[in-house]
Parts: sequence; structure tokens; C-alpha cells
Amino acid sequence: MKKVLLVLLLVVSILAFSSKVLVVGTTDKIRTLDPAKCYDYFSSNILQNVLTGLVDYEVNTSNLIPSLAESWEVSPDSLVYTFHLRKDAKFEDGTAIDASVMKYSIDRAMKLNGDPAFLLTDIVDSTKVVDKYTFQIKLKYPFSAFLSVLGYTVAWPVNPNLYPENAFYEGAPSSSGPYKIAEWIRDVRIVLEKNDKYFGPAPKVDKVVITFYESAATLRLALETGQIDIAFRHLDPRDISDLENNPNINVIKGSSPQIRYLVLNTKQAPFSNPLVRKAIMYAVDRQRIVDDVFVGLAQPLYSMVPMGMWSHEDIFPKRNLRAAKRLLQQAGYWTDKPLTIDLWYSPTHYGTTEADVAQVLKESLEETGIIKVNIKYAEWSTYVDYFLNGTMGLFLLGWYPDYIDPDDYLWPFLSVNGAKSMGSFYENPTTEAVMKAARVCVDQNTRSDLYDQVQNHLVVDVPNIPLWQGVAVVATQKNIKGVLLEPTQIFRYYLIEKK
Amino acid sequence: MSLKDYILTRILLAIPMMFILLIVIFFVLRIIPGDPVLAILGGKAPQEVIDQKRHELGLDKPIIVQFFDYVGDLLKGDLGKSTLTSRPVWNEIKDRFPATVELTLFAFLVAVLIGIFWGAEAAAHRDGIFDVSARVYSVFIYAIPVFWFGLMMQYYFGMVLRWLPVAGRLSPIVSLDTKTGFFLLDSIITWNWEAFIDVLKHLLMPGITLGLVISSIFLRMVRNNTILMLSQDFSTAARARGISQRRVLYKHALRNAMVPILTVMGLQLAILLAGAVLTETTFSWPGLGSYLVMKIRYRDFPAIQGTIVFFAFFVIVISIVVDIINALIDPRVRY
Repeated sequence: MKKVLLVLLLVVSILAFSSKVLVVGTTDKIRTLDPAKCYDYFSSNILQNVLTGLVDYEVNTSNLIPSLAESWEVSPDSLVYTFHLRKDAKFEDGTAIDASVMKYSIDRAMKLNGDPAFLLTDIVDSTKVVDKYTFQIKLKYPFSAFLSVLGYTVAWPVNPNLYPENAFYEGAPSSSGPYKIAEWIRDVRIVLEKNDKYFGPAPKVDKVVITFYESAATLRLALETGQIDIAFRHLDPRDISDLENNPNINVIKGSSPQIRYLVLNTKQAPFSNPLVRKAIMYAVDRQRIVDDVFVGLAQPLYSMVPMGMWSHEDIFPKRNLRAAKRLLQQAGYWTDKPLTIDLWYSPTHYGTTEADVAQVLKESLEETGIIKVNIKYAEWSTYVDYFLNGTMGLFLLGWYPDYIDPDDYLWPFLSVNGAKSMGSFYENPTTEAVMKAARVCVDQNTRSDLYDQVQNHLVVDVPNIPLWQGVAVVATQKNIKGVLLEPTQIFRYYLIEKK
Repeated sequence: MSLKDYILTRILLAIPMMFILLIVIFFVLRIIPGDPVLAILGGKAPQEVIDQKRHELGLDKPIIVQFFDYVGDLLKGDLGKSTLTSRPVWNEIKDRFPATVELTLFAFLVAVLIGIFWGAEAAAHRDGIFDVSARVYSVFIYAIPVFWFGLMMQYYFGMVLRWLPVAGRLSPIVSLDTKTGFFLLDSIITWNWEAFIDVLKHLLMPGITLGLVISSIFLRMVRNNTILMLSQDFSTAARARGISQRRVLYKHALRNAMVPILTVMGLQLAILLAGAVLTETTFSWPGLGSYLVMKIRYRDFPAIQGTIVFFAFFVIVISIVVDIINALIDPRVRY
């Protein structure tokens, strides 16, 4: 009897202990936890849970709300932003987050010129400490999406006692957010613990352990065997549909701002011919990609601005093979004189599904009877080299936003410099002028009208063809509640509960 | 040639070997298409950021200057900094290497135990059930792809029976003070027996998978060499003196059979250290093999070069040690 009681006691204590710990599995890796250098999704995700910025996004929306800055004013010429900081914000070691810390952090990020620094250096002219809790940023030119840029971790404050002024920092940050980092074994696991000094609401779970896996298959097994509570990035689409049939697992789907698209190099024949570009636009079969490759875990996309974001318009036409054929014939191609093109993809960068996507695209273009497609692929570093140098004419690419604003879905692809760096080499002074007007305009309705115009230009010139928008997916054990897949793609561990 | 001269010659020969390897890795990496800066930054970054990064990494210098810079740094013990994380490559290798060593030694132990005992018994009972099963086993195991075998192990022992964890080195809720990076050792020196059991459970599946796969090579070698030794005059003489079959097998035949096998085992251990890539990937084992695969994907030149140089150094050192041991045991190898 005593033995039974002892065993029961042990089981209860193990259960009590494990229920306080949330275990998350991922195949992502942390590259760096220095906001001045951090420019990949998962590193940002950790920082979003352990640090705070001047502004934050309202939970489950893309609306900006105050965070470290209680309020702010913008000068009439839209060049000077003055932030009034809250007085109770502290780092883990008790250092107050005041205007001098803000200045130190933003100046440091710009000076070190790490991977994401251009988001600031392109726009910010100077920073200024007005008084202990008033901080000012002066811009080089008016930029309506500036607050959204401040929502990205590159502009978030770091502890000057820890982060050197002239070098990147390798270690774990000094926390100012809901969690602090208790343990970090690179590529093995990172342990987050509740930060008692955080000014905001306390996390629902005191401790989060994030473990790293090498493959999607292992991640799935870890979830199914109960080794982890949550599988977050990246399960394979087929595994997800299997897991949906597993009665012990919850599969949660949410919107994702990730878009995938085709790039057409407007300077390379035959894609330099707008008729060819338009024909491809009519021939692509988005629905088949979504159904066959992603088993429904994606949505067909008809604009470069993603669904759910203001100014989005389903502007690209639905599939129309007859129109595609007509355009190809106008361009001088016939069944006995077909258009032969190369379609490029990268086999590892976008997961295991990319080869299938290329195959479906090939089939849908060849259904015109006038196009012959050769599928080609290159490993990511070569791929980037090729599209920057204009080697590839037609290729697949994807986009995660740097800041949540339509500008980040149009300017990088269509502005003269942006288009060059994204491989389409598109130039249109009218589009450029409209986008510039939208950048300096403060009123959202006017901006929305301007972006409508830009989207219309896209359908006429077709330097890019939007294909699908990703669906964010998380699979959890049944006792996990409070998982939110937000439009901003911020994954907040501090809202999750373990029942 | 005296033993001293022999050792000196072996060490001196290793230097040009390393140098040739360095040249090959360095230039092959740069000849194949793909730019590490672009692989990291993608198309998003403006040209000046790309240029600055290239300058930072020294990639804007002529290739020959880059090579001599690299060799110069290497002689100072500096493997450079990873282009992906900006951390010193040596630190990243130090983080990952203990995991690979732990897995490899465990696998090696499994392979050696199976190879020696089964191989010896198979030789002693030639054409008997031990022997036939050993031959079938070694052909079968040698033919199986290691990742498939690993997946099956994960499915059966992880999913169906739920005996062992499917991946990683440590359970998320088990804490361990990592002093050396060798988790088994760390758990022993910190008297953390909960962690010790947990680490051992994590080690079992990948270790056995890898161990079984290489055991077939040892098994066949031990069997064949022991059969050869059992047919030698000294074995016959031992039997004639009335020494038991078991003693003849283990004390006389196997001991003599082990001389050439030890050489192969030593080299196999070195190759294993560098080649556990598939097992590491299948079991999400955070070792140097999976590290190398990740870095190749991003064209992280310093990390790839550093890891390969590190492995090469390791293989060369082990092969020298094996040669020296052989020379000590058998003077004929000194030429």
C-alpha cells in the first residue's frame, strides 16, 4: 500500500511539475539575439517575447498600440517623432529604460549596420534625448509607415550594460519583456522564464522550453509521442493533414503575411515582352497549387498586397487559358512554334514542397499548348546570385514582411532599386511616383487609393505574379489553450495556457 | 628506419597533406556558383549593405590574398567567424563537437561489441547457425540506408512502444549544468542521475542505429581474420596441447586476428566522427555533421572550411596514432 502511495505521489509531483512548463518544438534555429543584427523570423520571435519596443501590435490585429512609449507626437512636416516613455519599464537587472537607452540602442543599430539596419538608416536622420523620458527621432523624409518600422525588433532597446557599443553581442539579452532567458544551449534548447520586472501582464505559463529539431518528420514524431506540447514551424503539409485526423492533437490555422509569387525578369527575352508576361499571368493555376501541393494549407492570392491587409484588392485576373493563348499568338507563338522557357526554383530554401510547385506550374503553363517549360533549380546561394544578376527569367520567390504595411509589399518589388534586388528589373516612373506619394502621405484612405493605383499598374506591367498566401499552422496537444496565429506573425508564448 | 624516424616522417607527411586539402576546399568553395553574402542577406538588402558585408568578410580581396589571409589566421589557431552568425567558428565547433563524439563513441562501442563477439563465434562455428546468421546480418545491415533504419527505429521504439525519445539529446523538462558539453559526463560530474538516465535514453536509438550499421564491417573482418588464424599452425598446436576451444579462440586466434582489425577500427572511428551526418539529421542530434549540412546550405565559407579542416586534422591525427601503434606492435610496418 505504501509503495502504491509513493508511486502515486511521484506521478502527481511529475504531473504538477510538467504542467507548469510549456514545451515548444521547432525546426527553426536562432541565429542571433542582438536586435541590431537579428533579421530572421525565429530569432525575432524570441526577441518579441523577451524584449519590448516603443510600440507594439494589439493582440491578434495589425493595429499599432503604445508600449514603451505611452504617447507620441508627429511634427506638422511629418519629420520629427517625439515619444513620451513610460517610467516603470526596466531591464532584468533593474536598469531603467529611458530616453538615453533608446538613443543608445537606435544609434548603435544604425552604426553597427547589421543585416536589418537599413530599415532605420534609410529613413532616420538623427535621434535626440529631450529629457529623461522624452525621446525624439528625426527622419530624412516623411515616411508614413515609420511607426510600423519601430514595431520591428531592430528599433527595440537593448541594455547598455550588456550590449557593447561597437560590436554585436553574442549572448542572451537582458530582458525587458514578459519572459527572460534562463538557459540557452545553442541548437539544443532555449528556456524562457517569467520576468517579474516586466510592466505588462504576467505570462500564463511560468516557463517555456523551446527545443530545436533538424527535420519536420522528427518534429511531428516529437509531438505525437508527447515529447513536446506545441509544434511551431515547420510541419510538412502532408503531416499536417495527417495530424488533423489525430484525435489527440489540435491543429490551429491562422493567417500569415507570407506571400509567394513568380518573378518575371522584364529585361530578359522573352519576358521583356509584356504579352508573354500577361499570357503567363492568365495561365498560372493557383488553385491547383493550393489543392495538390498544400492540401488546402494556403490560399490563392490575386495581389501582391496580402489578404487581410488594408488596400488589398483581388486585382489579378482568374485563370483564363483562352486569353493566355490569344496573347501568346499575338506575341507570335503557335502550337507548332511554341514558346520555350525555363522556370527556376530553389529546392531547400522554401521547404520540401517547392519542386512540386514548379511541376504544377509547368503543367498549368503547358496546358496552353503553346508553352514548353523546362524546370531548373539552383541551391539558395546560387539562386540569389542568379536573380540579382538577371540570369533567371522566370522564377519562384517568397516574401515575409519587415514591417506590417502595404508599402512593404509594393515598394521593395516595384521601386527602381527594389525591383533590381528582387530580380524583375522593373521600371515605371508613374508607379514610382505614386508609391512615393503614398510614402509621404499620412491619411490612410488616401494612401489606400494610391496603392489601388499601384496594384492596377501591376496587372498591366506584370513584373510579378502573386500565387498564394501562406497559412500559419501550429499543432498542439489537446490541453494547450490560447495559441494565437496573428496577422503580424508575432507568436506570443506568454498568452498560451497549459490546462 | 628507426621508430623515431618513422614517427617524424609520418608527422611531416601530414603537413603537405593538410595543405593540399586546404587548397582544394578553399578554391572549390569559391569556384562553385553562389555568394555567401547574398545567401545571408537575400535580395532585400541595399547594395551598400551587401558591399559592406563583403568587405567585412574580406570577400572583396583577390582570391589568392584571401587564401593566404586564411592560412595565416589558421596558423594562429583562428578558424574565422561564421558569416551566418558572426560567432567564431571555433566556438561553434566546440558547441557541437561533444555531441558528435558522444554519439560516435556510443555507436562505436555497439559496433565493436557486436563485431568482435559475434564475429569470433561465427568463426568458431563456421557454417553453423551463428556463422550463417552473421553473414546474412552483415549483408542485410550493410545494405540498409541508415536514415531509413533510423526512421523505423523512431517509429517502433518511439511511436509504437513509447520506450525511447525520438530526437534530441535531452528532455525539455530535465535540467543539466553543461560544463564539458559531453552530456553523459556532465550528468556524472554534477551527480545528476535523472539527467544521466535521460541522456542515455536519448543516446540509445541514434547510437544503436549508427552502431548496427557499422557493425557489419567489423563483423565480417573479425570473422574472416579469425577463421584465418584458427587454421594457422599455432592454433592447431594449441588445440593439440589440449587447450580448450574457447581459450584457443579468444586467447590465440582472436588476439592475432585483431592486429589488422585495430587499424581499420581506428580509421573507421575517425571516418565515423566525420560521417554521422545522416544519423544526426534523422535524430535531430545537434552534432557537427548536421552543423556542416546547415552551413553548406548557406555557403558559410569560414564555417565549412573550419569544420572540414577540423575533421581532416582529426582523421590525420588518428591515422598517425594508429600507424604508430601498428609500428610498435609489428616492426615490419616501419619498412
